[in-house]
Amino acid sequence: MILRLIEEVIAAAVGTMAFALMFHVPRQYYFCGGIAGGAGWLVYRALELHVDSLMGPVCAGAFTVVFLSRIFAVRKKCPVTMFLIPGIFPLVPGMGIYQTAQALVGSDWDLAAAKGLTSIKFAVAIVGGILLGFEIPQSCFSFLENRKRKSGKFS
Amino acid sequence: MGEKERERIFEVAGMAGDILLRSGAEISRVDETMRRIACAYELENVSTFVLSNGIFLTSEVAGSNHQVRVRHIPLAGARLDRIDAVNGLSREIELGFFTPEEALEKLKEIEKMPQKPGWHQILAAGIGSGAFCFLFGGDILDSLAAFLAGLILYIYVLDVVRGRLSKIAANASGGALVMALTLLFYRIGFGHHLDLMSVGALLPLIPGVAFTNSIRDFADQDYISGSVRLLDTMIVIFSIALGVGLVMMWCGIGGSL
Repeated sequence: MILRLIEEVIAAAVGTMAFALMFHVPRQYYFCGGIAGGAGWLVYRALELHVDSLMGPVCAGAFTVVFLSRIFAVRKKCPVTMFLIPGIFPLVPGMGIYQTAQALVGSDWDLAAAKGLTSIKFAVAIVGGILLGFEIPQSCFSFLENRKRKSGKFS
Repeated sequence: MGEKERERIFEVAGMAGDILLRSGAEISRVDETMRRIACAYELENVSTFVLSNGIFLTSEVAGSNHQVRVRHIPLAGARLDRIDAVNGLSREIELGFFTPEEALEKLKEIEKMPQKPGWHQILAAGIGSGAFCFLFGGDILDSLAAFLAGLILYIYVLDVVRGRLSKIAANASGGALVMALTLLFYRIGFGHHLDLMSVGALLPLIPGVAFTNSIRDFADQDYISGSVRLLDTMIVIFSIALGVGLVMMWCGIGGSL
């Protein structure tokens, strides 16, 4: 169980880094993006196993990705987008959309409606997580930057 | 400040906005960067109005319109490297490192920044597809099949489609290609879970940049741009589903598999 989780987190990190390249993210940001993507997936899976809820874990996962992305962005002095866009990919409800399409083709309307609604709930949860992550005031993060700069000057 | 100088500063601000918006930056960033550059060079009375596919920029002197710049910017692919470069440049401009001439040169360099080599992107699409297939619960064989399908998909996207097809046609045909490939792999026994293989290999087509930016635009109360980008996301996803659905129908694998 734990082993599978570790494997998955590594897969999420590798996938995130690969997608970062596809979006032309500069090379020096790959690793941090991978960490954000992997951590997002870890939080999602860990919660999903223990909490009986669909949207909560996804929301928490997306929030984690935004939170880490903002920390990295302040540390590296670059836009949050560099880490956020690839990092959110592991949480995309690809499976739900696929199953919706499959049910539609098979004229199974009930299944299509159920799967479609699940996908939408997933997407809404991601949106919620991202919005929540951006509600944290910037001052919480610039504190990190200041401390780093100070220690750089005096050391 | 001379006439020429004003024009050049105006050009720097406008061009920075152009590059940002074309590379897939969120609206507030485009707006803020243009303002900051104008402010750093002490160009006063600058107004900006940025939409998802257009920039309006004016600067006034003594109440009469001095300069106006209107640009249509088509929705294009993601070039996050350019966003990062312009972001760095605008920081340096604020610190007073560059004269407007030098900044303009820098911007022209950024505009010419080369893309990552095609085979890097193709390999990345393959690796991403394989990794995400595994993530969704596939075994090693599924991941290998997804890797191959993602690879072929991106060769198709980069070499065959490139600008020749509309967005809808490109995504529908890409979706159909992936579905046909994974179905072929599945039928010859290369991979055990058809759904996981296809979803993994389809992920490179998902418009993550448009989706994320749309959320951020909504959060910044740029509702028009947010809706346009959301619509962009939906249309791309529907196109992919259309392509996938057509192949499913043709091969008779609807319903619960």
